[in-house]
Amino acid sequence: MTMRRIRTAATAVLVLCLALAGCGGGGASTAAGGKVTLRFTWWGNADRAARTEQAVAAFEKAHPDIDIQTSYSTYESYKQKLATQAAGGDVPDLIQLDYRQISQYAGSDVLLDLKTQRGTLPTKEMDPGLLKTGQVDGVQYALPMGVGTQAMAYDKAAWRKAGLAAPKPGWTWDDWVSAVRKLKAAGYERPMTDPGQMEDWFEVWLRGQGKRLYGEDGQAAFTAADLTRFWTFTSRLRKAGLVSSAEDTTQMAGGAVEDSPMGRKRAVAEFNWDAPSAGYEAMYGDRLALAPMPAGPDGTPGQYYKPSMLLGIAADSAHPREAARFIDFLLNSDKAADILGVDRGTPVNSHQRTRVLPTVTGFQQQVAGLQESLQGKLKDPPAAPPRGDNGLQSTFGRDYDQVSFEQASPREVAEDFLTEARTELRP
Amino acid sequence: MDKAAAPGALPRQRPAPAEQDRKRRPKREREGAAWVFLSPWVLGAVVLTLLPMAVSLYLSFTDYDLFDPPSWVGLRNYTQMFTEDPRLLRSVLNTLLYVVIAVPLQLALALAVALALKSMKRGKAFYRSAFYASSLLGASMSIALVWRALFNDGGTVDNVLGSLGLHTGGWINKPGWALLSVALLTVWQFGAPMVIFLAGLQQIPKELYEAAAVDGAGRWRQFVSITLPMLSPVLFFNLVLQTIQAFQVFTPAFAVSGGRGGPADSTLFYTLYLYDRGFTASHMGYASAMAWVLLIAIGIVTAVLFRTSRSWVFYANEEGR
Repeated sequence: MTMRRIRTAATAVLVLCLALAGCGGGGASTAAGGKVTLRFTWWGNADRAARTEQAVAAFEKAHPDIDIQTSYSTYESYKQKLATQAAGGDVPDLIQLDYRQISQYAGSDVLLDLKTQRGTLPTKEMDPGLLKTGQVDGVQYALPMGVGTQAMAYDKAAWRKAGLAAPKPGWTWDDWVSAVRKLKAAGYERPMTDPGQMEDWFEVWLRGQGKRLYGEDGQAAFTAADLTRFWTFTSRLRKAGLVSSAEDTTQMAGGAVEDSPMGRKRAVAEFNWDAPSAGYEAMYGDRLALAPMPAGPDGTPGQYYKPSMLLGIAADSAHPREAARFIDFLLNSDKAADILGVDRGTPVNSHQRTRVLPTVTGFQQQVAGLQESLQGKLKDPPAAPPRGDNGLQSTFGRDYDQVSFEQASPREVAEDFLTEARTELRP
Repeated sequence: MDKAAAPGALPRQRPAPAEQDRKRRPKREREGAAWVFLSPWVLGAVVLTLLPMAVSLYLSFTDYDLFDPPSWVGLRNYTQMFTEDPRLLRSVLNTLLYVVIAVPLQLALALAVALALKSMKRGKAFYRSAFYASSLLGASMSIALVWRALFNDGGTVDNVLGSLGLHTGGWINKPGWALLSVALLTVWQFGAPMVIFLAGLQQIPKELYEAAAVDGAGRWRQFVSITLPMLSPVLFFNLVLQTIQAFQVFTPAFAVSGGRGGPADSTLFYTLYLYDRGFTASHMGYASAMAWVLLIAIGIVTAVLFRTSRSWVFYANEEGR
């Protein structure tokens, strides 16, 4: 009992500190008598916030007895805040989760078993394979909000100038290197952002060779030799002036598109996830295009369809039924689908998917087009990453700095990374 | 407040003879009132400082990932810190380097500004406030973000230096320069020590300078032989305070490096790594242990400073004037 009390006290203080630090977002905070109030938190950028607020307003209009208080922040601070709230037993009613968080939250009794709300929240129009991504040990804890995939964002004008055709599904890493060489020959210095600093691209590269990041046992399924080869590959490109310099690559640490080499117009192509690539639109306008990720030597695709994010209900929520009604609105209704478009990835509800994809405009067409071109070509997504993977993702980038600034050899750093992986992963 | 009722609220009031009671009552009343007025602070200190500290001490002996209840691991966090965490060592070295660079620079600037202000004939109060207020901004997150933009590749500093033919390509993205640019941001926060220096300078008797001038001492000689020794207690006070603060540097490095302490761990300060362990890697037990080691380390450094102060701090009243 005292243990619990101590925990609660400690985390209450942590939560307070975070609250004082000004993490709270804006939103309608009309506390009204007799109304059911739900708290909904997510991460994202200003564009997503505007669309989400619009969808929330539409829901509140249709359900005058329900009031939804929203707050959002960037992904890094969202992760930290939510973990602290979970420890303090103060989880918002509706929480957005990344695929990397689901094991942790489902395994700690933070999330409600959605079977209890089956009547309010039908899932029969959702793709069964994707529904699985929200399940842990056969229990549906969260629903995917959209489908995303890895992509290469690039500047069409540069591509044309180098005499290159738009990359097609199945192009290999070798094709990619020769494309980058042609861009350099066409006058673009360091045309591509160094992919060595993100675990996500390493995973695509691994899967292209028929390997994977994590095994069934929740431990790393690759060897130090695999990682050494990847980092040696990227280092060779960097030394040849084909990918961004260490000084430019390291500034991506915060994760904002504006800090990345392509976002700063230092590069003309960059790997990213499809929907978040909308961030480049402000800089490149119509010239922005999306291409599939390079595949393995025999054309094995490394990229996969991933739930771009999941939405769950807190186990402690006082109003699970109203929360379920809101999720149903966001994922299944025409109204919400029209407002959200493919901002959180393409709709999971197959009816909405066929209805919305042909109607999207601007950059969202690129997302829809990319996913259509890959339809039926990709392999199953990996199982949800094990607990502890969250921190490792940051370590990967941190470690790559050692390689790119040439403070240690790829092999030394790869071995360090695997040592840390063994202690951090808690399956 | 009702005068008769107030003492009754005190738990242990002895019935006293009427006369004595009349004399005592005001004092007790004052004490009671003092506690009432102190209560917000006391409550804050206990609930927000002492209690969390106690909890953190307990957590430092546990493995706690925020989700599962803490499990007791004894001294493992502490032994792990000292034996198998190379990144921690890196963060300690970074922090020491930072303290050694930032504190002397900051104190030198504070003293220089204080000396300039002291010799001013008019507008002293205005400039003192102006310098102090703007230096407070140096601690804010927004200025740290401005710093990031200024010292970035293609930022203002880079452009100005570039136009002089000294192209650097940014400071904060190079392992060799990032720490220095963070240290410069701390130097900006010279306001508090500056005000204290100024007060100290005004305490030095004018006759000493007059006598020295008669003996033919120049400005530099006066500074070394009069100002510095007379100011040494204030200098010592500022040194201790700023050193303690510098060990806990967090905001500028967090903002400038996007939270990671990069590039290549070059601005990974102790507190930044502590935060990373606690909130990114979810090792709250380990982070708590780090916090306690930092507390002890700062205590030791302060004690050492006090020990050395005997040989260089000069207290005028000790000399039996």
